[in-house]
Amino acid sequence: MSNFRTATIVAGVLLVAFAAVSGDRYFMDIFIFTCFYGTLAVCWNMMAGLTGLMSLGHALFVGIGAYSVAWGLSVHGWSPLVTWPLGVGLAVAAAAAIGMLCFRYGLRGYFFAIATLAFGEVAFFTVSATEALGRSDGMIMPISAEDIPGQLQFFEKWPYALIIMTILIGTIAIGEALMKSRTGYYWRALRDNEQAAEALGVNARAFKLRCFMLSAGISALCGAFYANYVAFVDPRSVLGVELSIQMLVYSIVGGMSLLWGPLIGAAVLVPFSILLRDYSAIPGSDIVVYAVLLAVLALVLPQGIAGWFVARWQRRRLARRASRTAEVVS
Amino acid sequence: MTSLLEVQRVSKSFGGLHALSDVSFEVGAGEIFAVIGPNGAGKTTLFNCLAGAATLTSGAIRLGGQRIDGRPPHEICRRGLARTFQLVKPFRGMTVLENVKVAAFSRYPSTKQATAAARAVLDRIGMAGLAEHDAETLNVAQLRQLEIARALATEPQLLLLDEMLAGLTPTESTAMCERIRQLPRAGIAVIVVEHSIPVVTSLCARAVVLCFGKVLTQGSTCEVIANPRVQEAYLGNAQS
Repeated sequence: MSNFRTATIVAGVLLVAFAAVSGDRYFMDIFIFTCFYGTLAVCWNMMAGLTGLMSLGHALFVGIGAYSVAWGLSVHGWSPLVTWPLGVGLAVAAAAAIGMLCFRYGLRGYFFAIATLAFGEVAFFTVSATEALGRSDGMIMPISAEDIPGQLQFFEKWPYALIIMTILIGTIAIGEALMKSRTGYYWRALRDNEQAAEALGVNARAFKLRCFMLSAGISALCGAFYANYVAFVDPRSVLGVELSIQMLVYSIVGGMSLLWGPLIGAAVLVPFSILLRDYSAIPGSDIVVYAVLLAVLALVLPQGIAGWFVARWQRRRLARRASRTAEVVS
Repeated sequence: MTSLLEVQRVSKSFGGLHALSDVSFEVGAGEIFAVIGPNGAGKTTLFNCLAGAATLTSGAIRLGGQRIDGRPPHEICRRGLARTFQLVKPFRGMTVLENVKVAAFSRYPSTKQATAAARAVLDRIGMAGLAEHDAETLNVAQLRQLEIARALATEPQLLLLDEMLAGLTPTESTAMCERIRQLPRAGIAVIVVEHSIPVVTSLCARAVVLCFGKVLTQGSTCEVIANPRVQEAYLGNAQS
Protein backbone atom coordinates (compact mmCIF):
# COMPACT_ATOMS: atom_id res chain seq x y z
CA MET A 1 0.00 0.00 0.00
CA SER A 2 3.04 2.27 0.05
CA ASN A 3 1.94 3.55 -3.34
CA PHE A 4 -1.23 4.96 -1.80
CA ARG A 5 0.01 6.25 1.54
CA THR A 6 -1.63 9.67 1.29
CA ALA A 7 -4.88 8.19 0.01
CA THR A 8 -4.96 5.74 2.92
CA ILE A 9 -4.37 8.50 5.47
CA VAL A 10 -7.02 10.71 3.86
CA ALA A 11 -9.49 7.80 3.84
CA GLY A 12 -8.82 7.16 7.53
CA VAL A 13 -9.29 10.80 8.53
CA LEU A 14 -12.47 11.05 6.46
CA LEU A 15 -13.94 7.95 8.07
CA VAL A 16 -13.27 9.35 11.55
CA ALA A 17 -14.84 12.68 10.57
CA PHE A 18 -17.78 10.85 9.01
CA ALA A 19 -18.35 8.88 12.20
CA ALA A 20 -18.07 12.05 14.27
CA VAL A 21 -20.76 13.92 12.32
CA SER A 22 -23.02 10.97 11.54
CA GLY A 23 -25.50 11.79 14.32
CA ASP A 24 -26.27 15.28 13.09
CA ARG A 25 -27.79 16.36 9.79
CA TYR A 26 -26.38 19.88 10.00
CA PHE A 27 -22.80 18.79 10.56
CA MET A 28 -23.19 16.03 7.99
CA ASP A 29 -24.14 18.73 5.50
CA ILE A 30 -21.01 20.70 6.34
CA PHE A 31 -18.95 17.52 5.99
CA ILE A 32 -20.42 16.83 2.54
CA PHE A 33 -19.71 20.35 1.30
CA THR A 34 -16.19 20.20 2.69
CA CYS A 35 -15.55 17.02 0.71
CA PHE A 36 -17.18 18.53 -2.37
CA TYR A 37 -15.06 21.71 -2.34
CA GLY A 38 -12.03 19.73 -1.21
CA THR A 39 -12.23 17.44 -4.25
CA LEU A 40 -12.68 20.41 -6.57
CA ALA A 41 -9.72 22.24 -5.05
CA VAL A 42 -7.50 19.15 -5.28
CA CYS A 43 -8.30 18.54 -8.94
CA TRP A 44 -7.98 22.25 -9.76
CA ASN A 45 -4.57 22.30 -8.09
CA MET A 46 -3.43 19.25 -10.07
CA MET A 47 -3.41 21.72 -12.94
CA ALA A 48 -2.38 24.93 -11.21
CA GLY A 49 0.01 23.85 -8.48
CA LEU A 50 1.46 20.68 -9.95
CA THR A 51 1.47 21.35 -13.71
CA GLY A 52 1.54 25.15 -13.77
CA LEU A 53 -1.75 25.63 -15.61
CA MET A 54 -3.82 28.25 -13.79
CA SER A 55 -7.45 27.83 -14.83
CA LEU A 56 -9.97 30.47 -13.81
CA GLY A 57 -12.86 28.83 -15.60
CA HIS A 58 -13.10 25.51 -13.83
CA ALA A 59 -16.71 26.19 -12.85
CA LEU A 60 -17.46 25.47 -16.51
CA PHE A 61 -16.77 21.76 -15.96
CA VAL A 62 -18.66 21.63 -12.67
CA GLY A 63 -21.56 23.26 -14.50
CA ILE A 64 -21.42 20.76 -17.36
CA GLY A 65 -21.66 17.90 -14.87
CA ALA A 66 -24.42 19.52 -12.81
CA TYR A 67 -26.54 20.57 -15.79
CA SER A 68 -26.17 17.16 -17.46
CA VAL A 69 -27.75 15.58 -14.41
CA ALA A 70 -30.42 18.26 -13.90
CA TRP A 71 -31.40 18.38 -17.55
CA GLY A 72 -31.25 14.62 -18.07
CA LEU A 73 -33.45 13.95 -15.06
CA SER A 74 -35.98 16.78 -15.43
CA VAL A 75 -36.48 16.47 -19.17
CA HIS A 76 -35.89 12.78 -19.88
CA GLY A 77 -36.00 11.09 -16.47
CA TRP A 78 -32.53 9.61 -17.10
CA SER A 79 -30.83 7.78 -14.28
CA PRO A 80 -27.46 8.87 -12.88
CA LEU A 81 -25.98 5.85 -14.63
CA VAL A 82 -26.58 7.78 -17.85
CA THR A 83 -26.25 11.38 -16.73
CA TRP A 84 -23.01 11.07 -14.73
CA PRO A 85 -21.00 9.53 -17.60
CA LEU A 86 -22.66 12.00 -19.97
CA GLY A 87 -21.56 14.97 -17.84
CA VAL A 88 -18.04 13.68 -17.38
CA GLY A 89 -17.73 12.85 -21.08
CA LEU A 90 -18.93 16.29 -22.15
CA ALA A 91 -16.58 18.01 -19.70
CA VAL A 92 -13.58 15.98 -20.84
CA ALA A 93 -14.45 16.76 -24.46
CA ALA A 94 -14.80 20.46 -23.65
CA ALA A 95 -11.45 20.45 -21.87
CA ALA A 96 -9.85 18.69 -24.83
CA ALA A 97 -11.21 21.30 -27.22
CA ILE A 98 -10.26 24.29 -25.06
CA GLY A 99 -6.90 22.77 -24.23
CA MET A 100 -6.01 22.05 -27.84
CA LEU A 101 -6.86 25.64 -28.76
CA CYS A 102 -4.91 27.17 -25.87
CA PHE A 103 -1.85 24.92 -26.11
CA ARG A 104 -1.77 25.05 -29.90
CA TYR A 105 -1.31 28.80 -29.64
CA GLY A 106 1.08 28.52 -26.71
CA LEU A 107 -1.09 30.25 -24.11
CA ARG A 108 0.61 30.10 -20.70
CA GLY A 109 0.41 31.75 -17.32
CA TYR A 110 -1.92 34.72 -17.21
CA PHE A 111 -3.01 34.23 -20.80
CA PHE A 112 -4.19 30.70 -20.17
CA ALA A 113 -5.99 31.92 -17.03
CA ILE A 114 -7.79 34.64 -18.97
CA ALA A 115 -8.72 32.28 -21.82
CA THR A 116 -10.26 29.76 -19.41
CA LEU A 117 -12.03 32.57 -17.56
CA ALA A 118 -13.52 33.69 -20.86
CA PHE A 119 -14.78 30.20 -21.74
CA GLY A 120 -16.32 29.89 -18.28
CA GLU A 121 -18.08 33.23 -18.55
CA VAL A 122 -19.39 32.43 -22.03
CA ALA A 123 -20.95 29.26 -20.62
CA PHE A 124 -22.40 31.19 -17.68
CA PHE A 125 -24.16 33.72 -19.88
CA THR A 126 -25.21 31.15 -22.47
CA VAL A 127 -26.89 28.97 -19.86
CA SER A 128 -28.40 32.04 -18.18
CA ALA A 129 -30.15 32.79 -21.47
CA THR A 130 -31.16 29.27 -22.47
CA GLU A 131 -34.84 28.47 -21.99
CA ALA A 132 -34.32 24.69 -21.96
CA LEU A 133 -31.91 25.01 -19.04
CA GLY A 134 -34.15 27.27 -16.97
CA ARG A 135 -32.32 30.50 -17.74
CA SER A 136 -30.84 32.27 -14.73
CA ASP A 137 -33.61 30.86 -12.48
CA GLY A 138 -31.98 27.46 -12.69
CA MET A 139 -33.59 24.03 -12.73
CA ILE A 140 -35.45 22.44 -9.84
CA MET A 141 -35.15 18.68 -10.11
CA PRO A 142 -38.22 16.53 -9.39
CA ILE A 143 -38.06 14.86 -5.98
CA SER A 144 -40.46 12.30 -4.60
CA ALA A 145 -41.39 11.71 -0.98
CA GLU A 146 -39.85 8.24 -1.09
CA ASP A 147 -36.18 7.35 -1.33
CA ILE A 148 -35.24 6.25 -4.87
CA PRO A 149 -31.71 4.80 -4.66
CA GLY A 150 -31.59 4.35 -8.45
CA GLN A 151 -32.02 8.12 -8.82
CA LEU A 152 -29.67 8.83 -5.90
CA GLN A 153 -32.58 10.27 -3.92
CA PHE A 154 -32.24 9.76 -0.21
CA PHE A 155 -33.81 11.46 2.76
CA GLU A 156 -30.79 10.70 4.90
CA LYS A 157 -27.57 12.53 4.18
CA TRP A 158 -25.11 9.74 4.88
CA PRO A 159 -25.43 8.04 1.46
CA TYR A 160 -24.41 11.34 -0.14
CA ALA A 161 -21.49 11.63 2.26
CA LEU A 162 -20.31 8.15 1.28
CA ILE A 163 -20.52 9.02 -2.43
CA ILE A 164 -18.54 12.26 -2.20
CA MET A 165 -16.02 10.62 0.14
CA THR A 166 -15.46 7.92 -2.46
CA ILE A 167 -14.93 10.53 -5.16
CA LEU A 168 -12.48 12.45 -2.95
CA ILE A 169 -10.47 9.39 -1.93
CA GLY A 170 -10.42 8.20 -5.54
CA THR A 171 -9.15 11.59 -6.69
CA ILE A 172 -6.34 11.56 -4.12
CA ALA A 173 -5.44 7.96 -5.00
CA ILE A 174 -5.32 8.68 -8.75
CA GLY A 175 -3.36 11.87 -8.14
CA GLU A 176 -0.91 10.13 -5.85
CA ALA A 177 -0.31 7.28 -8.28
CA LEU A 178 0.20 9.76 -11.13
CA MET A 179 2.57 11.98 -9.14
CA LYS A 180 4.82 8.98 -8.52
CA SER A 181 4.78 7.97 -12.18
CA ARG A 182 6.26 9.45 -15.32
CA THR A 183 3.18 11.61 -15.82
CA GLY A 184 3.62 13.35 -12.47
CA TYR A 185 7.30 14.01 -13.06
CA TYR A 186 6.50 15.42 -16.49
CA TRP A 187 3.79 17.66 -15.03
CA ARG A 188 6.14 19.14 -12.45
CA ALA A 189 8.86 19.53 -15.06
CA LEU A 190 6.43 21.45 -17.27
CA ARG A 191 5.50 23.66 -14.32
CA ASP A 192 9.13 24.45 -13.50
CA ASN A 193 10.51 24.94 -17.01
CA GLU A 194 8.63 24.01 -20.13
CA GLN A 195 11.53 24.61 -22.54
CA ALA A 196 13.89 22.37 -20.58
CA ALA A 197 11.22 19.71 -20.25
CA GLU A 198 10.67 19.62 -24.01
CA ALA A 199 14.39 19.34 -24.62
CA LEU A 200 14.42 16.31 -22.32
CA GLY A 201 11.77 14.47 -24.31
CA VAL A 202 8.54 15.71 -22.73
CA ASN A 203 5.66 16.13 -25.15
CA ALA A 204 4.42 19.32 -23.51
CA ARG A 205 1.13 19.65 -25.35
CA ALA A 206 0.06 16.04 -24.79
CA PHE A 207 0.84 16.02 -21.08
CA LYS A 208 -0.78 19.38 -20.38
CA LEU A 209 -3.85 18.20 -22.24
CA ARG A 210 -3.93 14.99 -20.22
CA CYS A 211 -3.85 16.99 -17.00
CA PHE A 212 -6.58 19.37 -18.16
CA MET A 213 -8.88 16.53 -19.24
CA LEU A 214 -8.44 14.61 -15.99
CA SER A 215 -9.08 17.70 -13.89
CA ALA A 216 -12.16 18.61 -15.93
CA GLY A 217 -13.53 15.08 -15.67
CA ILE A 218 -13.26 15.06 -11.86
CA SER A 219 -14.81 18.55 -11.69
CA ALA A 220 -17.77 17.31 -13.72
CA LEU A 221 -18.14 14.32 -11.42
CA CYS A 222 -18.36 16.73 -8.48
CA GLY A 223 -20.88 18.84 -10.39
CA ALA A 224 -23.03 15.78 -11.09
CA PHE A 225 -22.91 14.89 -7.40
CA TYR A 226 -23.87 18.45 -6.46
CA ALA A 227 -26.96 18.34 -8.69
CA ASN A 228 -28.15 15.05 -7.20
CA TYR A 229 -27.47 16.21 -3.65
CA VAL A 230 -28.93 19.71 -3.76
CA ALA A 231 -31.61 18.85 -6.39
CA PHE A 232 -31.36 22.38 -7.69
CA VAL A 233 -28.82 23.95 -10.03
CA ASP A 234 -28.57 27.52 -11.21
CA PRO A 235 -25.83 29.28 -13.17
CA ARG A 236 -24.54 31.21 -10.16
CA SER A 237 -23.89 28.21 -7.97
CA VAL A 238 -22.34 25.83 -10.50
CA LEU A 239 -21.08 28.02 -13.36
CA GLY A 240 -20.21 31.30 -11.65
CA VAL A 241 -16.69 32.64 -11.46
CA GLU A 242 -17.07 32.61 -7.64
CA LEU A 243 -16.85 28.83 -7.71
CA SER A 244 -13.62 28.94 -9.75
CA ILE A 245 -12.19 31.46 -7.30
CA GLN A 246 -13.12 29.24 -4.35
CA MET A 247 -10.98 26.42 -5.77
CA LEU A 248 -8.10 28.86 -6.05
CA VAL A 249 -8.53 30.23 -2.51
CA TYR A 250 -8.65 26.79 -0.87
CA SER A 251 -5.56 25.76 -2.83
CA ILE A 252 -3.55 28.85 -1.88
CA VAL A 253 -4.53 28.63 1.78
CA GLY A 254 -3.88 24.89 1.90
CA GLY A 255 -0.65 24.80 -0.09
CA MET A 256 -0.29 24.55 -3.85
CA SER A 257 2.92 22.55 -3.98
CA LEU A 258 1.26 19.45 -2.54
CA LEU A 259 -1.40 17.16 -3.98
CA TRP A 260 -3.37 17.15 -0.71
CA GLY A 261 -2.64 20.75 0.28
CA PRO A 262 -5.91 22.18 -1.14
CA LEU A 263 -7.85 19.62 0.88
CA ILE A 264 -6.46 21.15 4.08
CA GLY A 265 -7.48 24.59 2.82
CA ALA A 266 -11.02 23.39 2.18
CA ALA A 267 -11.17 21.53 5.50
CA VAL A 268 -10.34 24.75 7.35
CA LEU A 269 -12.24 27.30 5.31
CA VAL A 270 -15.45 25.54 4.24
CA PRO A 271 -16.74 24.65 7.74
CA PHE A 272 -15.50 28.00 9.01
CA SER A 273 -17.38 30.00 6.39
CA ILE A 274 -20.59 27.96 6.76
CA LEU A 275 -20.56 28.26 10.57
CA LEU A 276 -19.77 31.97 10.37
CA ARG A 277 -22.61 32.52 7.96
CA ASP A 278 -25.11 30.61 10.09
CA TYR A 279 -24.11 32.00 13.46
CA SER A 280 -23.14 35.62 12.79
CA ALA A 281 -25.52 38.07 14.43
CA ILE A 282 -25.00 40.94 12.00
CA PRO A 283 -25.76 40.08 8.34
CA GLY A 284 -22.63 40.30 6.21
CA SER A 285 -20.23 40.28 9.15
CA ASP A 286 -19.24 36.71 8.30
CA ILE A 287 -17.77 37.86 4.99
CA VAL A 288 -15.69 40.52 6.74
CA VAL A 289 -14.30 37.99 9.23
CA TYR A 290 -13.66 35.48 6.44
CA ALA A 291 -11.80 38.07 4.36
CA VAL A 292 -9.64 39.11 7.32
CA LEU A 293 -8.78 35.46 8.01
CA LEU A 294 -7.78 34.96 4.37
CA ALA A 295 -5.56 38.04 4.42
CA VAL A 296 -3.89 36.94 7.66
CA LEU A 297 -3.31 33.39 6.36
CA ALA A 298 -1.84 34.69 3.12
CA LEU A 299 0.53 36.95 5.08
CA VAL A 300 1.58 34.47 7.77
CA LEU A 301 1.69 31.25 5.74
CA PRO A 302 2.56 32.13 2.14
CA GLN A 303 3.25 28.45 1.35
CA GLY A 304 -0.15 27.48 2.69
CA ILE A 305 -1.00 25.54 5.82
CA ALA A 306 0.12 22.15 4.53
CA GLY A 307 3.13 23.68 2.80
CA TRP A 308 4.22 25.26 6.08
CA PHE A 309 4.01 21.98 7.98
CA VAL A 310 5.87 20.03 5.33
CA ALA A 311 8.61 22.67 5.08
CA ARG A 312 9.05 22.61 8.87
CA TRP A 313 9.22 18.84 8.89
CA GLN A 314 11.79 18.81 6.07
CA ARG A 315 13.91 21.44 7.79
CA ARG A 316 13.98 19.36 10.95
CA ARG A 317 14.91 16.25 9.00
CA LEU A 318 17.73 18.10 7.21
CA ALA A 319 19.00 19.54 10.48
CA ARG A 320 19.03 16.06 12.01
CA ARG A 321 20.90 14.68 9.03
CA ALA A 322 23.40 17.57 9.12
CA SER A 323 24.12 17.04 12.82
CA ARG A 324 24.61 13.34 12.20
CA THR A 325 27.13 14.08 9.42
CA ALA A 326 28.89 16.54 11.71
CA GLU A 327 29.26 13.83 14.35
CA VAL A 328 30.73 11.44 11.81
CA VAL A 329 33.20 14.08 10.64
CA SER A 330 34.30 15.06 14.15
CA MET B 1 34.26 8.65 -41.07
CA THR B 2 30.52 8.09 -41.09
CA SER B 3 28.51 11.23 -40.47
CA LEU B 4 26.19 11.22 -37.51
CA LEU B 5 24.90 14.72 -38.04
CA GLU B 6 24.60 16.41 -41.41
CA VAL B 7 23.73 20.09 -41.50
CA GLN B 8 22.95 21.11 -45.07
CA ARG B 9 22.59 24.72 -46.21
CA VAL B 10 20.68 25.72 -43.10
CA SER B 11 19.27 29.25 -43.01
CA LYS B 12 17.26 30.96 -40.33
CA SER B 13 15.84 34.47 -40.56
CA PHE B 14 14.01 36.49 -37.97
CA GLY B 15 12.12 38.93 -40.17
CA GLY B 16 14.83 40.73 -42.11
CA LEU B 17 17.66 39.52 -39.86
CA HIS B 18 19.58 36.57 -41.27
CA ALA B 19 20.75 34.84 -38.12
CA LEU B 20 22.07 31.88 -40.11
CA SER B 21 22.66 31.69 -43.84
CA ASP B 22 23.70 28.60 -45.76
CA VAL B 23 25.41 26.88 -42.86
CA SER B 24 26.68 23.40 -43.71
CA PHE B 25 28.89 20.99 -41.77
CA GLU B 26 29.03 17.38 -40.68
CA VAL B 27 29.84 15.73 -37.39
CA GLY B 28 31.04 12.14 -37.14
CA ALA B 29 30.09 9.54 -34.57
CA GLY B 30 32.22 9.77 -31.45
CA GLU B 31 33.72 13.13 -32.38
CA ILE B 32 34.04 16.28 -30.28
CA PHE B 33 33.31 19.15 -32.62
CA ALA B 34 33.44 22.87 -31.90
CA VAL B 35 31.25 25.71 -33.08
CA ILE B 36 33.11 28.95 -32.48
CA GLY B 37 32.57 32.54 -33.43
CA PRO B 38 32.29 36.01 -31.93
CA ASN B 39 29.23 37.12 -29.98
CA GLY B 40 26.11 37.27 -32.10
CA ALA B 41 27.51 34.92 -34.74
CA GLY B 42 24.46 32.66 -34.51
CA LYS B 43 25.86 29.82 -32.41
CA THR B 44 22.93 29.56 -30.04
CA THR B 45 20.47 29.98 -32.92
CA LEU B 46 22.19 27.06 -34.60
CA PHE B 47 21.74 24.95 -31.46
CA ASN B 48 18.09 25.94 -31.26
CA CYS B 49 17.61 24.85 -34.86
CA LEU B 50 19.37 21.54 -34.29
CA ALA B 51 17.33 20.76 -31.17
CA GLY B 52 14.03 21.74 -32.76
CA ALA B 53 13.42 24.77 -30.54
CA ALA B 54 13.49 26.96 -33.66
CA THR B 55 12.23 26.13 -37.15
CA LEU B 56 14.49 26.48 -40.16
CA THR B 57 13.81 28.98 -42.90
CA SER B 58 15.48 26.63 -45.36
CA GLY B 59 17.92 23.74 -45.44
CA ALA B 60 17.97 20.28 -43.92
CA ILE B 61 19.33 18.59 -40.81
CA ARG B 62 19.87 14.83 -40.69
CA LEU B 63 20.68 12.73 -37.66
CA GLY B 64 21.85 9.23 -38.51
CA GLY B 65 20.58 9.76 -42.06
CA GLN B 66 17.04 10.78 -41.04
CA ARG B 67 15.64 14.29 -41.36
CA ILE B 68 15.03 15.87 -37.97
CA ASP B 69 14.34 19.45 -39.00
CA GLY B 70 10.72 20.45 -38.49
CA ARG B 71 10.28 17.82 -35.77
CA PRO B 72 9.31 19.01 -32.27
CA PRO B 73 12.05 19.11 -29.57
CA HIS B 74 10.77 16.13 -27.59
CA GLU B 75 10.89 13.93 -30.65
CA ILE B 76 14.40 15.05 -31.59
CA CYS B 77 15.44 14.21 -28.04
CA ARG B 78 14.06 10.70 -28.44
CA ARG B 79 15.96 10.26 -31.66
CA GLY B 80 19.17 10.78 -29.75
CA LEU B 81 20.04 14.47 -29.76
CA ALA B 82 20.30 16.13 -26.35
CA ARG B 83 21.24 19.66 -25.46
CA THR B 84 22.16 21.83 -22.53
CA PHE B 85 21.20 25.46 -22.17
CA GLN B 86 23.61 28.34 -21.91
CA LEU B 87 21.38 29.79 -19.19
CA VAL B 88 20.81 26.74 -17.00
CA LYS B 89 17.19 25.68 -16.72
CA PRO B 90 16.88 23.36 -13.72
CA PHE B 91 13.48 22.22 -12.42
CA ARG B 92 13.71 24.26 -9.23
CA GLY B 93 10.89 22.55 -7.39
CA MET B 94 12.62 19.16 -7.56
CA THR B 95 15.66 17.43 -6.15
CA VAL B 96 18.72 16.67 -8.28
CA LEU B 97 17.67 13.03 -8.64
CA GLU B 98 14.16 14.01 -9.68
CA ASN B 99 15.56 16.41 -12.27
CA VAL B 100 17.56 13.60 -13.84
CA LYS B 101 14.63 11.19 -13.56
CA VAL B 102 12.52 13.43 -15.79
CA ALA B 103 15.14 12.93 -18.48
CA ALA B 104 15.51 9.18 -17.80
CA PHE B 105 11.77 8.71 -18.28
CA SER B 106 12.26 9.42 -21.97
CA ARG B 107 13.98 6.00 -22.24
CA TYR B 108 12.44 4.11 -19.30
CA PRO B 109 8.70 4.64 -18.77
CA SER B 110 8.65 2.71 -15.48
CA THR B 111 9.51 4.66 -12.34
CA LYS B 112 11.79 1.95 -10.99
CA GLN B 113 13.94 1.70 -14.11
CA ALA B 114 14.04 5.48 -14.54
CA THR B 115 15.24 5.89 -10.94
CA ALA B 116 17.96 3.31 -11.46
CA ALA B 117 19.06 4.92 -14.72
CA ALA B 118 19.10 8.38 -13.13
CA ARG B 119 21.19 7.16 -10.21
CA ALA B 120 23.62 5.50 -12.61
CA VAL B 121 24.08 8.78 -14.48
CA LEU B 122 24.62 10.73 -11.25
CA ASP B 123 27.21 8.15 -10.15
CA ARG B 124 29.01 8.37 -13.46
CA ILE B 125 29.20 12.14 -13.38
CA GLY B 126 30.18 12.29 -9.70
CA MET B 127 26.99 13.89 -8.39
CA ALA B 128 25.62 10.97 -6.38
CA GLY B 129 26.23 12.84 -3.13
CA LEU B 130 23.91 15.62 -4.27
CA ALA B 131 21.05 13.37 -5.37
CA GLU B 132 18.63 14.35 -2.60
CA HIS B 133 19.48 18.06 -2.61
CA ASP B 134 16.95 20.54 -3.91
CA ALA B 135 18.01 21.85 -7.30
CA GLU B 136 17.57 25.44 -6.15
CA THR B 137 20.34 25.04 -3.56
CA LEU B 138 23.06 24.21 -6.12
CA ASN B 139 25.86 26.57 -7.16
CA VAL B 140 26.69 27.47 -10.77
CA ALA B 141 29.15 24.64 -11.36
CA GLN B 142 26.75 22.10 -9.91
CA LEU B 143 23.88 23.46 -11.99
CA ARG B 144 26.03 23.03 -15.12
CA GLN B 145 26.80 19.48 -14.07
CA LEU B 146 23.10 18.89 -13.54
CA GLU B 147 22.41 20.14 -17.08
CA ILE B 148 24.88 17.57 -18.41
CA ALA B 149 23.52 14.81 -16.17
CA ARG B 150 20.00 15.42 -17.43
CA ALA B 151 21.11 15.49 -21.04
CA LEU B 152 23.06 12.25 -20.59
CA ALA B 153 20.08 10.56 -18.96
CA THR B 154 18.20 10.86 -22.26
CA GLU B 155 20.91 8.51 -23.64
CA PRO B 156 21.90 10.63 -26.62
CA GLN B 157 24.08 9.82 -29.60
CA LEU B 158 24.89 13.48 -29.93
CA LEU B 159 25.17 16.04 -27.15
CA LEU B 160 25.08 19.80 -27.70
CA LEU B 161 26.89 21.76 -25.00
CA ASP B 162 26.23 25.48 -25.00
CA GLU B 163 29.01 27.39 -23.17
CA MET B 164 29.33 24.91 -20.37
CA LEU B 165 32.47 26.54 -18.99
CA ALA B 166 31.32 30.15 -18.78
CA GLY B 167 31.51 31.43 -15.22
CA LEU B 168 33.41 28.43 -13.84
CA THR B 169 36.66 28.66 -11.89
CA PRO B 170 39.78 27.20 -13.60
CA THR B 171 39.65 24.08 -11.40
CA GLU B 172 35.98 23.53 -12.14
CA SER B 173 36.47 24.04 -15.84
CA THR B 174 39.39 21.58 -15.97
CA ALA B 175 37.21 18.96 -14.28
CA MET B 176 34.38 19.72 -16.70
CA CYS B 177 36.71 19.38 -19.73
CA GLU B 178 37.91 16.03 -18.47
CA ARG B 179 34.32 14.87 -18.20
CA ILE B 180 33.54 16.04 -21.73
CA ARG B 181 36.62 14.25 -23.04
CA GLN B 182 35.25 10.97 -21.64
CA LEU B 183 31.99 11.16 -23.59
CA PRO B 184 33.13 9.79 -26.98
CA ARG B 185 34.29 6.62 -25.23
CA ALA B 186 30.66 6.07 -24.22
CA GLY B 187 29.69 6.43 -27.87
CA ILE B 188 28.46 10.00 -27.56
CA ALA B 189 29.45 12.65 -30.08
CA VAL B 190 29.64 16.19 -28.74
CA ILE B 191 29.26 19.64 -30.25
CA VAL B 192 30.54 22.42 -28.02
CA VAL B 193 29.98 26.12 -28.31
CA GLU B 194 32.86 27.75 -26.52
CA HIS B 195 34.66 31.06 -26.32
CA SER B 196 37.91 29.96 -24.78
CA ILE B 197 40.33 29.06 -27.60
CA PRO B 198 42.68 26.96 -25.42
CA VAL B 199 39.72 24.85 -24.35
CA VAL B 200 38.57 24.39 -27.93
CA THR B 201 42.03 23.39 -29.17
CA SER B 202 42.50 20.92 -26.33
CA LEU B 203 39.08 19.32 -26.69
CA CYS B 204 38.14 19.34 -30.33
CA ALA B 205 39.81 17.95 -33.42
CA ARG B 206 37.61 19.88 -35.81
CA ALA B 207 35.74 23.14 -35.68
CA VAL B 208 33.46 25.37 -37.70
CA VAL B 209 33.70 29.15 -37.36
CA LEU B 210 30.55 31.23 -37.68
CA CYS B 211 30.57 34.95 -38.25
CA PHE B 212 27.38 36.96 -38.77
CA GLY B 213 25.49 33.75 -39.46
CA LYS B 214 27.82 32.51 -42.19
CA VAL B 215 30.45 29.79 -42.14
CA LEU B 216 33.76 31.62 -42.17
CA THR B 217 35.82 28.48 -42.37
CA GLN B 218 35.90 24.93 -41.08
CA GLY B 219 38.42 22.14 -40.69
CA SER B 220 40.97 21.00 -38.16
CA THR B 221 40.89 23.21 -35.09
CA CYS B 222 44.55 24.31 -35.29
CA GLU B 223 44.26 25.34 -38.91
CA VAL B 224 41.00 27.12 -38.31
CA ILE B 225 42.39 29.13 -35.44
CA ALA B 226 45.52 30.04 -37.34
CA ASN B 227 43.37 31.40 -40.17
CA PRO B 228 43.89 35.20 -40.36
CA ARG B 229 40.22 35.80 -41.22
CA VAL B 230 39.20 34.06 -38.00
CA GLN B 231 41.61 36.15 -35.96
CA GLU B 232 40.26 39.24 -37.63
CA ALA B 233 36.67 38.25 -36.82
CA TYR B 234 37.53 37.78 -33.18
CA LEU B 235 39.97 40.61 -32.59
CA GLY B 236 39.11 43.11 -35.26
CA ASN B 237 41.59 44.25 -37.91
CA ALA B 238 44.95 44.23 -36.17
CA GLN B 239 46.86 46.54 -38.49
CA SER B 240 48.80 49.20 -36.72
